[in-house]
Amino acid sequence: MRSWKITPKVLPTLVTLFYTFLWAPAIVLIVLSFSNNKYGIKWEGFTLRWYAHIYNNVGVRNALTSSLFIASVTVVVATIAGTLAAYGLYKYKFRGRKFLRTSILLPITIPYIVTAGALLVFYTQVIHIPLGYPGIIIAHISFSVPLAVFVVLGRMARIDWTLEEASTDLGGDRLTTWRKITLPLLLPAILASAALIFPWSFNDFTITYFVAGLGTTTLPIYVFSQLQYGTSGPVINTIGTIFITLPFITLLLMNFLQKKEVT
Amino acid sequence: MGNRESILCVELRNVVKRFPGVTAVDHVSLKVEQGKVFSLLGPSGCGKTTALRLVAGLETLDEGDVLIDGKVINDVPPYYRDCSTVFQTLALFPHMTVEGNIAYGLERRKVPKDEIGKRVGKMLELMELGGMEKRRPTQLSGGQRQRVALARSLVLNPKILLLDEPLASLDRKLRKEMQVELKRIQREVGITFLYVTHDQKVALSISDIIAVMRAGKLEQIGIPNEIYETPRTKFIADFMGAINIFSGKIIASGDGKVQLETESGSRVIAPENKDIRSEEVTGISIHPELVELLPVEAGLEGDNRFRGKIVEMIYQGDFIETKISLDQTGEPITAYLSSIQDRESQFSPGEEVLVHWSLESSNILLD
Repeated sequence: MRSWKITPKVLPTLVTLFYTFLWAPAIVLIVLSFSNNKYGIKWEGFTLRWYAHIYNNVGVRNALTSSLFIASVTVVVATIAGTLAAYGLYKYKFRGRKFLRTSILLPITIPYIVTAGALLVFYTQVIHIPLGYPGIIIAHISFSVPLAVFVVLGRMARIDWTLEEASTDLGGDRLTTWRKITLPLLLPAILASAALIFPWSFNDFTITYFVAGLGTTTLPIYVFSQLQYGTSGPVINTIGTIFITLPFITLLLMNFLQKKEVT
Repeated sequence: MGNRESILCVELRNVVKRFPGVTAVDHVSLKVEQGKVFSLLGPSGCGKTTALRLVAGLETLDEGDVLIDGKVINDVPPYYRDCSTVFQTLALFPHMTVEGNIAYGLERRKVPKDEIGKRVGKMLELMELGGMEKRRPTQLSGGQRQRVALARSLVLNPKILLLDEPLASLDRKLRKEMQVELKRIQREVGITFLYVTHDQKVALSISDIIAVMRAGKLEQIGIPNEIYETPRTKFIADFMGAINIFSGKIIASGDGKVQLETESGSRVIAPENKDIRSEEVTGISIHPELVELLPVEAGLEGDNRFRGKIVEMIYQGDFIETKISLDQTGEPITAYLSSIQDRESQFSPGEEVLVHWSLESSNILLD
C-alpha cells in the first residue's frame, strides 16, 4: 500500500533527474556561449560577441562548410544506397543473403578508433584513395549505409507486400510499382535514416580525423585543435551550441515531415 | 442467351505449381464460363489461392497452360493480363485516397484524365461510396474498404475478377451483407468471378459452380446443391458439414438402390450413383438436418429406421444439436432438430427414439 502511494512522486522525480543529467550539460554550454566571460566558464552578462567572432573567423566558417558539405553528400548517397541494399536484402532470395544481412551491421560494433586506423592503412597503403574529402566522404558513406539498411529493413518487415502485388495486378510495371507504391511506403524509414546519418556524419571525429589528411578541417577537428592549443573557451561554447542545435533541428524537421506523411 | 453461357473465360489445362517440398497445384484442369461465379473451395493449404495467383500471373507455372479468352497467357506478366484481383488483405494503398486507389489502374493504362474522372465517379456511385473520395483507406469502415477494393478492380472492366477470400476479415453480419452485395454487383456488371474461399456457406450461396480442392488436386466440380447433397468423397462430405459419415461396403444393389453395411453392422439404404462403381464405395454420409427423430411407436418398417437413445441435446439457437447412440450397433448419429420439431416432440436426453432418414438423404462415398 505504501509503495503504491509513493510511486506517483518517485517516478516524476526519477524522470526529472534523468532528463536533468541528459540535458543540463548542453543547456549550460548553450547559456555560457552567450556569456561575456572571456574563458567561457561562468555567467558575466549577455553578449553575442563570440558568435560574431566565429562568424568572422575564416577557420570556423571553412570548417563548418566542410562539415555541412560532407554530411550532405553522405546523407544523400548513404540513404539511397542503404535503401536499395535493404530492399535487395529483404526481397531477393540468394545464397549468402543471411550472412550479408548480419555482416552489414558489423562495422557498427567495431570501436571507431580501430576502424579509423584500419581505414588509414587501407586508403594509403592498399587502394590509394586520396585523403581529405574523397577519403572522408567514402568513409562516412560506408559507415552510414549500415544505419540506413538497419532502419529501412525494420520498416520493410512491417509492410504489407501484397500492396506491391496489387500494383502489378492493376497494371503497374516494376519500376512504376517501386515509384508509386514501394518508395512512398518506405519514405518514413528513409527520412528517419537520413535524420540519423546527418548528425552522425556531422559529429564524427575519430574516423574523420584519421582520413582527413592535411588541410581538410571539419568542425569537430577544428574544435579539437582549438582545445589542444588552448586558445579560446567561449568559441568552443558557441561551436558546441551549433553542434547541439543543428542536429536537433534536423531531428525536429524529420519528425515533422514524418507526421505529415502518416496523416 | 443459351449460346452466351458456353463462352469460356478462363481455362486451366493440367496446371502444376511446385513449391519447395510441396506441390501446391497438382495437374488441375478447369473451365470457367463467362458471366458465372466459379468458386474454388477447400481448407487452407489446399492450393486454391495458388491456383488463383497463377491466373493473376503473380506466380509462375511449372507445367500446363493458363488461358484467358482462349489465349495462352503463361508468359504474360501480371500487369498486362486482362484480369484483376481482390486480395484477402484488400491491399488498398494506404498513402492514396479512395479516389487515388480507384484511379490507379486507369492511370497505368494511360486513360485520359477526364475519362478517369468519369469512370471513377461511376464506380463510386455503383459502390455507394459517394462523399468518400477524399478519404484514406484507414478512415473507412471494413465494408467500405471492401467496396473500394472491388471498385478499384471493377473500374478496369477486366475479363474476370479474381477474389481471394475477400470477406474473410469481416464480422459475420457484415460478411453476410457483402455476400449479397457481391452477388448483386456481379449480376449488374455481368462479370465473371473466380472466387477462392474456405467457407462452404459463402461458396454455396454465391457460386454457380463450385470446385472442391484437396492437397493441390480437384476433388469434385459441380453446382452447389450437387456438392452439398451428393459429395463424392468422405473429405468433401465432412467439409460440407455432413457430420454423419460411416465407413462400410455395399452388400446388395438393384432397382436404383444400394444396401450398405457399415463397419459396426448397421444396414443403410441409399440411392445408386451412376458415376460411382459399387465396388469402390467405402462409406456413406447423411446431413444432420435430414435426420428425423420419431417416437419409438412409429415402428421399424421402411428404409433407414433405427432405434436409439438420445445421449445429448445441445442448444444452438436456430436448431438443437441432438446426439443419438444406435441401440444395435452403438453408432453415433447427430440430428439437427428445428425449433418447431423440438417444441412438438419434446424429446429429452436419455429417451428412446426412432431415428429415420429418407432414401434420398443418404449418399454413398468414395475414399
